[in-house]
Formats: sequence, C-alpha cells, structure tokens
Amino acid sequence: MAEDNDYLEKIKTQQKEWEENVLQKRVKRFNLKESPTKFYSPLSTIKNDFCEKIGFPGQYPYTAGNNPFDFWRAYAGDAAKMGYRPDWGGAGGVGKYGGFGTAEDYRDYLIRMHSMGRTGGPNMAFDLVTQCGYDSDSPFAEGEVGRVGVAIDTFRDFATIYEPYTGGLEIDKVPSNFTINAPAAVIIAMYAVLADKRGIPLKKLKGTPQNDILKEFIARGTYIFPPNQSLRLFRDTCVFCTQFLPELNINSMGGYHIREAGASRVQDLAFSMANAAAYLQAGIDGGLAVDLFAPKFTFNAFGGSMEIYQEIAFQRAARRIYARMLKERFHAKNPRSMLIRQPITAHIGCSSTTLQRPLNNLTRAVVGGMAAGMSGGMPGAFPPFDEPMGLGHSQEAVQLQLDATRILIYEAKVSDVNDPWAGSYFMESLTDEIEEQTMAEMEKVENMGGAVAAIENGYMQKAIAKSAYQKQRKIDKQEEFVIGVNCYTGQNEIHVKVNREVEASYDPALMKSAEKRQKEKLSRVKRERDNTTVRSLLSTLRQHAEDEAVNLMPDICKCVENDVSLQEICDVLRDVFGEFQQAKL
Amino acid sequence: MNQKRKIRVLVAKPGLDGHERGAHVVAYGLRDAGFEVIYTGLRQTTEQIVNAAIQEDVDVIGLSILSGAHVSLTRKVMDELKNQKAGDIMVIVGGIVPDEDIMELKEMGVREVFTAGTPISAISGFIESAIPAD
Amino acid sequence: MKNSWDKLIQGVRKKDIRAMARLITRVENREDGWKTAMTEIYPLTGKARVFGITGSPGAGKSTLTSEIAKELADRGHTVGIIAVDPSSPFSGGALLGDRLRMQQIFTVKEIYIRSMATRGMLGGLCQAARDVIRIMDAFGKDVILIETVGVGQDEIEIVKTADRVMVVCIPGMGDGIQAIKAGVMEIADLYVINKADKPGADEVEADIQAMLSLSSDVEGDVPPVLQTSALKKQGIQQLVSALLENPSDTQKQKVKEEIRIREEILSLMEREVFRQVRSVWENDGSLQDSVSQVMQKTSDPYTIVKQMLLNHKNR
Repeated sequence: MAEDNDYLEKIKTQQKEWEENVLQKRVKRFNLKESPTKFYSPLSTIKNDFCEKIGFPGQYPYTAGNNPFDFWRAYAGDAAKMGYRPDWGGAGGVGKYGGFGTAEDYRDYLIRMHSMGRTGGPNMAFDLVTQCGYDSDSPFAEGEVGRVGVAIDTFRDFATIYEPYTGGLEIDKVPSNFTINAPAAVIIAMYAVLADKRGIPLKKLKGTPQNDILKEFIARGTYIFPPNQSLRLFRDTCVFCTQFLPELNINSMGGYHIREAGASRVQDLAFSMANAAAYLQAGIDGGLAVDLFAPKFTFNAFGGSMEIYQEIAFQRAARRIYARMLKERFHAKNPRSMLIRQPITAHIGCSSTTLQRPLNNLTRAVVGGMAAGMSGGMPGAFPPFDEPMGLGHSQEAVQLQLDATRILIYEAKVSDVNDPWAGSYFMESLTDEIEEQTMAEMEKVENMGGAVAAIENGYMQKAIAKSAYQKQRKIDKQEEFVIGVNCYTGQNEIHVKVNREVEASYDPALMKSAEKRQKEKLSRVKRERDNTTVRSLLSTLRQHAEDEAVNLMPDICKCVENDVSLQEICDVLRDVFGEFQQAKL
Repeated sequence: MNQKRKIRVLVAKPGLDGHERGAHVVAYGLRDAGFEVIYTGLRQTTEQIVNAAIQEDVDVIGLSILSGAHVSLTRKVMDELKNQKAGDIMVIVGGIVPDEDIMELKEMGVREVFTAGTPISAISGFIESAIPAD
Repeated sequence: MKNSWDKLIQGVRKKDIRAMARLITRVENREDGWKTAMTEIYPLTGKARVFGITGSPGAGKSTLTSEIAKELADRGHTVGIIAVDPSSPFSGGALLGDRLRMQQIFTVKEIYIRSMATRGMLGGLCQAARDVIRIMDAFGKDVILIETVGVGQDEIEIVKTADRVMVVCIPGMGDGIQAIKAGVMEIADLYVINKADKPGADEVEADIQAMLSLSSDVEGDVPPVLQTSALKKQGIQQLVSALLENPSDTQKQKVKEEIRIREEILSLMEREVFRQVRSVWENDGSLQDSVSQVMQKTSDPYTIVKQMLLNHKNR
C-alpha cells in the first residue's frame, strides 16, 4: 500500500504541475476561463476495486456486460455469409414492429410479410383505442381506430391475427411481442386462451408483453386506472405468468420512453429503477420468491441521447445499480434475476433526430450504434434516418440503418471487445458519477414512498416536464448545438434532400375503413355471443376486483374466452378502481 | 394606466395520444414569454377543448398531436369552433406533420403549423405578431 | 369603445357565455371604461353565494372544487368557478393548470370555469376577483367557487372576498395541521380533510378540533370539520350540504359583510387616488424632478413626498 501511496502522490504532484504550467498556460493563451476539455488520471478512480465495481463480463455486478458474448456474436459470421436479415437494431427485418387497421388487415399484412421471407412472431402495435382500454365503438375511438396499431376489441380479433401462425410458425415456436400496458392483462389472457384453444401447453408460450404501466403515467400517457390499482393488475399478471406461462417474459420496462418524454439521464435511470423496484415488490407481495419471476423481467432499450461517453457510462451504471438492487435489497440469489435484459443497450433517441437535413440522422444513428456496441449491446444504428419525417419508415432508410449496423459489426469490428472502456480513468469516474446521482434521485423517490407515490403526487411528471423544457431552452439559447437546427443553417450550407419511398405496407383505404369494419364486427360479436354468460362473468369480475387479494387473471381469461370485449372488462375495472387523474404541472 | 394586454393561450391535446413533451415545453415556454397559458391535459374531446377556449376567452388554441391523426382531429376542432360561433379564435398546430398535411391544415383555417425543432421564440413571436393589439 | 362594452353587458344579461368571457377579460385587463362597465354590472348582482376554497399545494383542491361543482349542478345550481394560479414574477406569464383537474365538468352546461392569474397585482387581485365574481353573478351563476393556493397573503385576501371559506388539508402531511398556514385559521368557516381514504385522516381531524377548542379567535359558530375523498367521490354531498347551510349567526354575517364592503371601498379608493396622483406627477414632470433631486442629494424621499402631497392639495 505504501508503494501505492507513493505512486498516487507522484501523480498528484505531476497533475498539479501540469494544471499550472501546461493547462493554465494554454487556457490563458486562448483567453478562456476554463479548459473546454477534460482529462482524467488514475486519481479519478482511486476508489475503484475492479472485482467489486466492474467484474468480468457475465459476472456480478455486470458492469462489464451481461455475458462474455451475446448469442448473436456466435453466429454473426454465418449470418453475413447467408445474407440472413435479423432485426438488428430496430425497425427492420423479421417481426417488424407494426400493426394497423382491423385484425384482418394486420393478418393479411403478416401473410404478405411471410411470403417475403420475413417470418417470425408478430411484434404488435395496438391502436390508441385499445391501449387506452376502449372498444372501436367508443366515442373516444372516433378517428383513431387502427391508426397507430391494430384494433383489438374481442378475442376473435386476436385469434384472427394468429391465423397464419400454424405449423412451423405455431405459437409455441415463435415468440410474440405485445406493446400493451394498461390493458396488458387482457392481451396476456387472450394469448393464453388462444394457446388453450389450440391445445398448446401454456408453459411453451414465448414472447414479451410490454406490461410497464408505471412509465405510461410519466412518459406515454396511455394509462387507465390509478397507479396502485394498475400495480395490482401487474401483480396479477406477474403471478399468472410465473405460474402458467413461465417462458413468457413478464414485462419490458422502458427507460427509453422516459428519456424521450424529456427526462434527464439520471432521472431516466432513477425512475426506471424505482419503477422496477415497484414491480419487483408487487411480485413479492403476490407471494412469489424473487428468483422465481425476476429472471423474466426485461427492459426495453435504455438510451436516448447523442452524448456517446455518457450513454456508455449510463449502461454500465444501470447494470451495476440493477444488479446491486436485486442482490442487496431484494435478496436475489439467481444471477439471471440481476441482469438488465434488453434487446439493445444504448442508442440515440428519436428526439435526437432532426427534420432538417435528415440524412444527418444516419450519422447520428451510427453514433448511437457505437455507444451500444461499446456498452455491451449490438451496435444497432437506430432509428432509420427518416424517423422525424412523419410516421412510417421508408425502405431506403431501413436498408441504410441495417447496413450501418452491419458496417459497425463487420467492418469496424466494434463488437469484438467486451466493455472496451473498462478501466478508463474517465469512464470509470463517469460511471461512478452517474451511479451516485441516480442513487440520490432514487432515494428521493423512495423517501416519498416509492414510484407509485412519486407518480400520484406528480413529482416524476413535473421533473420530466421541467427537464424537457430546460433542454429546449438550452437549444434555443445555443447553449447546446444541434447541427442544421440551431447552428450551421446559413446560406453556405446545402440542405441535402433525400429520396424516400415509403413502404406501402399499410393501405390507406383500409386504414380509413377500419373503424367502420371494426364496429360492424364488434356489434356482430355482441349479438352472437351468450350475453347471459357475459353479464354473469362481468359481475364476478366486479366482485373479485373489489377484493384486492384476488388474482383477476382467471376471471379475465374466462371473459376473453366468452367474447367479452376489452372495453367491457376495462369498464368494470374503471368502475371499481377509478380512473387516473393527471397531476397539475 | 392600461395594463399591457395579456395574451391567453389554450394548449390542448385532442384525441388519445399521450405524448405530452411538446405540450409541456410549449406551455412553459409561452409562460416565460409572458403569456397566460391554460393547459387542459390529455385525452381532450373536441367539445372540451372548444368549451375551455370559449370560457377562458383565449386568443389562441394550440393543438399538440403526435399520433398522426392531426388532420382529422384538427378538422373536428375547427368544425366545433365554427359550430359554437367561435371560428375567430386562432388555431395553431404542433407535432409531427408531413409537408402535404401542413397545406391541408392551413386550408381548413389553421394559422400556422410548428414541427419538431421549432424554437419556442418562433412560436411566441408568431402569436404576438398574429394577435391584433387592441 | 362604449358601444362594445354595452354589447358585452347586454350579452351577459342574455346569458351569452362568450360575452361573459370577453367582459371578464376586458375588466381583468383594466381596459378603459371598466369601472363604468362594473357600475352597470353591479345592480345585476347580489344573488350569488360565494365560497372560497383554499389550502396547501397538493391538497386536491381542484379535484374537490370540480366535485363540489358537479354536486351543485346536480342539485340544480348554476356554478361559476374562478381558479387562481400565480403569475411568474419574472415573465408576468402564468401556467394555469387547475382546469386539468376539472376535465369532467368541462362540458357541464351549468358550470363556467375561469382560470385567473395573480398578475403580480399586490392587492389588485382581490378587486379583480370581486369583479369577476360580480360578472358571473350578473350572468346568473348562483354559486361561485373561488379556488386558490393558500400560500401567499394575496391568496388569503382573495378568499376573504367569499361568503364562506373552506380550508382543505390532507392526512400525512407531516405534523397534522402544520400545513395550515398562519392567517388561514381565522378565515376558515369550514375545514375539509380531503384524501380521507388515506391513513391519518382522523388524526388530522383531531388536531384541528384540538386547535379550534384552544383558539380564542373562533367565536360563535365553531367551524365544522368534514372528511372527503374527491377522487373517490366520498363525502361530497355532506360537504355541499354543509356549505349551503345558512349560518345561524346572522349578526356575525352582517359584520363580515360590512367589513368586506369597507375594505373594497378603501382598496378601490387607495388605487384610484394613487393612480390619479401618480399620473399628475408623471405628466407634469414633478416626479422626474424629485428623482433627480434625490440623486443629486439635494433632497430625500421623505421630504419629497411630504412636499409633493402639499403641492397636490393646493393644486
């Protein structure tokens, strides 16, 4: 240790000398108050114990990564030779995230995709009507049916989508993704009922429902019930999935959405972790041992800025915080419980892209891909450059996005080293800093009573709104620069235009007529079904909803099976649970 | 001793789209530009928006829509305003709006459309110049 | 100008909501002619009952106001709501967010909601609020609710323009009634413990009762303490009934009214005198001269004011 101390003393002396004689001289020469750049020395990471804070990839606390290498790395070479087009880095190949119109429209679209070789499970986007727990005939639905996703009113719609999924594409063979939150319980029930009707063992079902209601209150706004009651529904799905659908992921928590809503990096991480803690507690309150269900928790990607160093440090800090939280606070023993399982790690945000000179977004996406590749993920160059140009990506943009990811993997070889920044004085110090700030923010939330309390009292929402505003002000005041937006917009710049052929996958005529067709279908179902049974099922659901201790999933499954509509189920729950009221800004 | 007239703005989110970032930023920004901003929150029906605009006697309604349903939702608001004899209230729209839709929105009477990346000062400046000082 | 004022007042008489809304704007902006307009409005008023709702931030006042309004409308009343939020001292702008919590009553015909910013008018807000109340009253609103955050002196002053004031508190805000600011105690005619479905409501009630029994300020009617949950719509009917109950002590009411009228006259007078004096001083240059004198240290502000007042009287 004495030698260590001598060593550090030597560096200290040299740093002081450097600051005074080299750095300050230059700062003065350019007439600055302080240096515009930073340099980190071993003094920045004095506290770091490699084993305790970093560890080897795939070992606690997972700072260096979840695995020694990811599964895709094992097959990357073969994939290139075969021309295999996996969905690397977002909206691309198989199982493209999508959905529109009626269930029939979406089914036909999926069949067309299959014929183009894009097989794989559906990655479903639902229309806002479904996401908010309404049916297509609700007054709230007007103009929104089938717009941003597929409309689901009853189980029959759900079953229709799965018509092409038989044989080699049977639902026990391909995983499904459901981007659904507030009514996630209903969609999970539909999936279970579908398997049951097809005679497929539930325990073989794979896939991921988003099922992350807490971030809806603070980021996306498709909530229905108040936070506590929403968490009860989460508990019910968590217990149900753990018992009957053990292969299904339970949720996909979204830090990314929180950032896109305007949260700072630290808020994003702290709120995501606080939300995760609430879900973990909900599972435990449901009577489950943490290691029984925590391994089935997943995360939607974290990320959302162009600041490449910060985003890399963020991923490292996130893995460490989550692992420690699981181990120390929730006493997990299973290493899989401690992992942040996410499809990709860092990336830029859609809000990092600009409408001005949109091809620049490809450059931006590459930066995000670099950050991902250097922080334990696939270097996905997300999103396609035409993201801000209106809803829908062009084929050209998707092609370039996929190619950018491939170039990073195969040509730049970004993914050949695990955690390449490990041990960097700078990166370790930045990782510590993000961790410390996040822990402080989390403590604030925990002191309020946790995520639910911080949503009920509007703390998280206000903090995010304020942060979003601060960011905008910085751009407006040129404290932050966005190329082509608030700088380099002069006459000497060329406003590069792009060709863009938007994939005509969604027939506008179908979109337009979806509402009418969906309403007709729904009214037919309501005529044909056994309405006496429907009434009795809903009344049982109501009774059970009133008793906090009851798991509602069996009732919801029965409702779904008997063609009770999504809104009818949600309406009963609205009645019992109440509806979320937004907090004042 | 007349006070300088306060400009009142209603920031509204019609439809089910829950992305509030733009609405929040604009609400804060216009407040800091000296406007009185009324924010009514998510999931507003056309009737709610128009009633609020009339009761609050606002000079401007700013609609924030990111679901792609801007054309149909805006048309509903414009129709309801005319229906309630309040067609004189200025309407502006913010969101992800493709160029061809901007034309359509302006044809139905929307005074201006602000897409992503617009500085707040551009919005407040536009409102100040478009509202007659009386 | 006169014409358009008349038109708006006619509109208010004919229950035209846009006319009322516009008249409120112009009076609130203190546009030329506003006092004449209010003189014409005044005889049309006097029928409405005015209730003030105040309490600390986060007490759920807006939601409670919304529920009270709905209950009142259900009982056949027509309701006006004034929701006051602070203006930014820096920009003069304001973010008026109370409506957000009143979405459910946006389209109830009998209810009119108006958000109002404090506009940094020291004391002036009270008069503006009185004016808005009167315009609503003249329109025919028979109950008017005025909601403000009970933090600043201004806000406390505003609710004093009401016939009855309810102070809203919630359980779990630290030490029971700590949240209730000094100065609010004396004006409360009614205490409401909102969010009473949360633990600790009974403790807060006990605290308030204890405080009331100790207080020497409270004479006559002891303010009732009620528990509600605006979100769960519990206790609202009882609260509305209590609000509408006529106070038994009519003598006390009379005294209160006398004080209110006196205060209004004095405050209008204060502003008017100041406005007149100031405009004379500004226009004849004497204000600028005085400033120069003090700058040059040939006089001091105290002497200046004394002299200018003397000159003003002799004018």
